Amino acid sequence: MYAFDYKRPKTVAEAEAAFAADSDAAFLAGGQTLIPTLKQRLRQPSALIDLAALDALKGITVADGIVTIGAGVCHADVAVSADVRKAIPALADLAAQVGDPQVRNRGTLGGSIANNDPAADYPAAVVGLDATVHTSRREIAAAAFFTGMFETALEPGELVVKVSFPIPRRAAYQKFRNPASRYAVVGVMVAETAGGMRVAVTGAGPCVFRVPTMEAALAMNFSAGALQNIQVPPDDLNADLHATSEYRAHLIGVMATRAVASIA
Amino acid sequence: MEMKGEYTIPASRAAVWAALNDVAVLKAAIPGCDSIARLSETEIEATVTAKVGPVKASFKGLVTLSDLDPPNGYTIRGEGKGGVAGFAKGGAKVRLAEGPAGTVLSYDVDAAVGGKLAQLGGRLIDSTAKKLADEFFASFSKLAAGSETAA
Repeated sequence: MYAFDYKRPKTVAEAEAAFAADSDAAFLAGGQTLIPTLKQRLRQPSALIDLAALDALKGITVADGIVTIGAGVCHADVAVSADVRKAIPALADLAAQVGDPQVRNRGTLGGSIANNDPAADYPAAVVGLDATVHTSRREIAAAAFFTGMFETALEPGELVVKVSFPIPRRAAYQKFRNPASRYAVVGVMVAETAGGMRVAVTGAGPCVFRVPTMEAALAMNFSAGALQNIQVPPDDLNADLHATSEYRAHLIGVMATRAVASIA
Repeated sequence: MEMKGEYTIPASRAAVWAALNDVAVLKAAIPGCDSIARLSETEIEATVTAKVGPVKASFKGLVTLSDLDPPNGYTIRGEGKGGVAGFAKGGAKVRLAEGPAGTVLSYDVDAAVGGKLAQLGGRLIDSTAKKLADEFFASFSKLAAGSETAA
C-alpha cells in the first residue's frame, strides 16, 4: 500500500469540503473494493475520506410506502432488518446474498452503487425497484444513475446519502453466483411496481439493464411460462473465463423464470 | 484476447488517414492519454492513465507502425508497462475503405494483459478493452470528421 492522508469527517458538508481540498482524494465507504485495490497498489489516492462517522448515511426507515436506506448501511443490516423483510422481502434476500460475511458486514449500499461493478447485486435492486438515489447535491432516478461499466451520474466529490425504494406489489431476486467470489454471473430482479413490470439484470452486461420484452410478456401474463420463448441477444453481454456471453444470455432466462415462479 | 470492429466515419479516406497519423488527434482520442510524442516516422511514445472502477494505473509505452499502405491502412503494435500494475501489449490491423456514408474503418485487435491487472481483473479485461475501444473510436471519428470540415 502506498502512503495516503486519512480524514474522518463528521458531516456531509465536511466530507465534500475535504474531497475538494485534496488533489486526488477518494471516499472510503466499506472499503471492500477500494482497500484490496490499495493493497495491490493499483490506486494511489492522496487522501482517503472515511465516511464511517457520517450520521446522515445511517439508518433504515419505512414510511408512506417507501423503504429508505442510508448509504452507509451494510448489507448484513439490510438482510436482517425486520422492516425491510416485511416491506420488500426481495431486497432483504438480495442483501443476504452479497459476497461473503466480511463483505456483508463491511460493504455498504452507497459504496456498492457508487462503484457500479458490473457484477454487483444492488444495481439490480435500484433499477428493478425503480428507486431514487439521494446524493449530497440532488436526487437521481434509477434510470439515470447507472451510466456504464463502473460509471454513474455522480460528479467528482458527490456523495450518495440514501436510497429510497418504493414498495412493489411483489418482487423477487434470483442470482447465479460465482462460487468463489459470490459475484453475480447473472442476477435478475423481477418486480411488479406501481409504474408497471420491471426486469433488471446485473452481471450479464457491462452495466445493469432492463429487458423490455420480458416486462411486456409479464404484464400480459405473470407466470413463469410467459418467459419461455423469450431470448435475450448475447451480442453485448460480458464474456470471461467464467461464462461466455451466450451462457449469460441463457442464464437471464433461467433466473428470471425462477424469480417469477417464486412469486407468481 | 481478440476484438474486431467496424466504424463508419463521415470523412474522406485521405482525411481519416491523416488523422490516424496525427499524434495530436490520437492524443485527444485515446482515453486517458497524458502525453504522446513521435520519435520517428514509425515510432510513437505515449503515456496513458487508465481509470477503470477502483483502479487507476499509468502506462508508458512504445508504439510502432508497420505495413504502412496509405491511405488503405497500417498495422500498429505496442507494449505498455504499468509498474506494479502489470503490462499490456498488443497490435491492431487497421483498414480503411470507401463506404456510402464516408470511410469505413475496420480493426482487428489482438491483445494480452499480464501482471496484477490480469490476475485480479480477469473477469473485466474484455469488457474494459471494448469500452476503451468504443470511447477511442467515438472521439476519433468526431475529430477526423471535424478536421475535414475545418480544412
